[in-house]
Amino acid sequence: MSVKRIEVRERVMARNDAIAEGVRQQLDHAGVAALNLVSSPGAGKTQLLERTLDDIGNELRLAIVTGDVQTENDANRLALHTSRLVQAVVTNGGCHLDALQVTTALAAITLADTDLVILENVGNLVCPANWDLGERHRVTLCAVTEGEDKPLKYPKAFANADLVLITKVDLLPYLKFDVALLEANIRLANATATILLTSSQSGAGLLEWYAYLLKATKSARARARTVELAAV
Amino acid sequence: MHELSIALEICRVVEERIPAAQLHQLAEVGLDIGERATMEVANLQFCLDTLLAHSPFAGADVVIARTGGEDTRVSYLEIDDER
Repeated sequence: MSVKRIEVRERVMARNDAIAEGVRQQLDHAGVAALNLVSSPGAGKTQLLERTLDDIGNELRLAIVTGDVQTENDANRLALHTSRLVQAVVTNGGCHLDALQVTTALAAITLADTDLVILENVGNLVCPANWDLGERHRVTLCAVTEGEDKPLKYPKAFANADLVLITKVDLLPYLKFDVALLEANIRLANATATILLTSSQSGAGLLEWYAYLLKATKSARARARTVELAAV
Repeated sequence: MHELSIALEICRVVEERIPAAQLHQLAEVGLDIGERATMEVANLQFCLDTLLAHSPFAGADVVIARTGGEDTRVSYLEIDDER
């Protein structure tokens, strides 16, 4: 018997990360911001985007890519709130979006006519935390109908976030929910993320959310100018 | 839940490193899995065993070592040329 050993030492995520870096460079060059929305199912990602399209869809040119295990329901819902293309990625069992799927989706988006790409990930607090999609901003949502200990149970989903939205706060009067405890648990996973209390029903916190989106688009345009100057 | 995606990616790494005509000779796959890799090891093992049992592979042992950090790596591959 002759056994030959091949040393590999390759990170399994290396290919996805390389594709994600390509997405990031493409978006930087085009001056387009990209957000990756991560949450458990039912935390309110789609409703937040419906409200966002209604409120600032005329000011910001949004391109939205939805990820779901089955159905294009979210994309169909969002398409009622915008005349722009909303793309659905049906993963057929896959529990997350990956960078290759985003590359395919971007091919259908006219980046010169876009300010912001929002990637609504598959509802899941475990798997999406591991896949870089090429976004500059990761946003994790946690609804007040979930437990205060979600950041302790799923720390990576919170540790990687730039912004955490505590959603559905209009329901607080009807719930036994300790917002301060949730915030403290978020801080255990992530010391620096911005935390906003929001409600897509009442509109609470949405001005701050829109300000975050506007700031992200300005930063993207500034990056594009830097890329342009570096190329001169 | 994402272990099948990871297992498919591991098979892709194997297919990049070993010529197609030798894939049936793959005898062992060594993996390093970080403690914070959010990986269900038994699930990954099941997915890999299933994938490696079918063509172009002919079954291979999966040897998993737990390491620090959050990365999952293909550490080494072993080919048995008498298979």
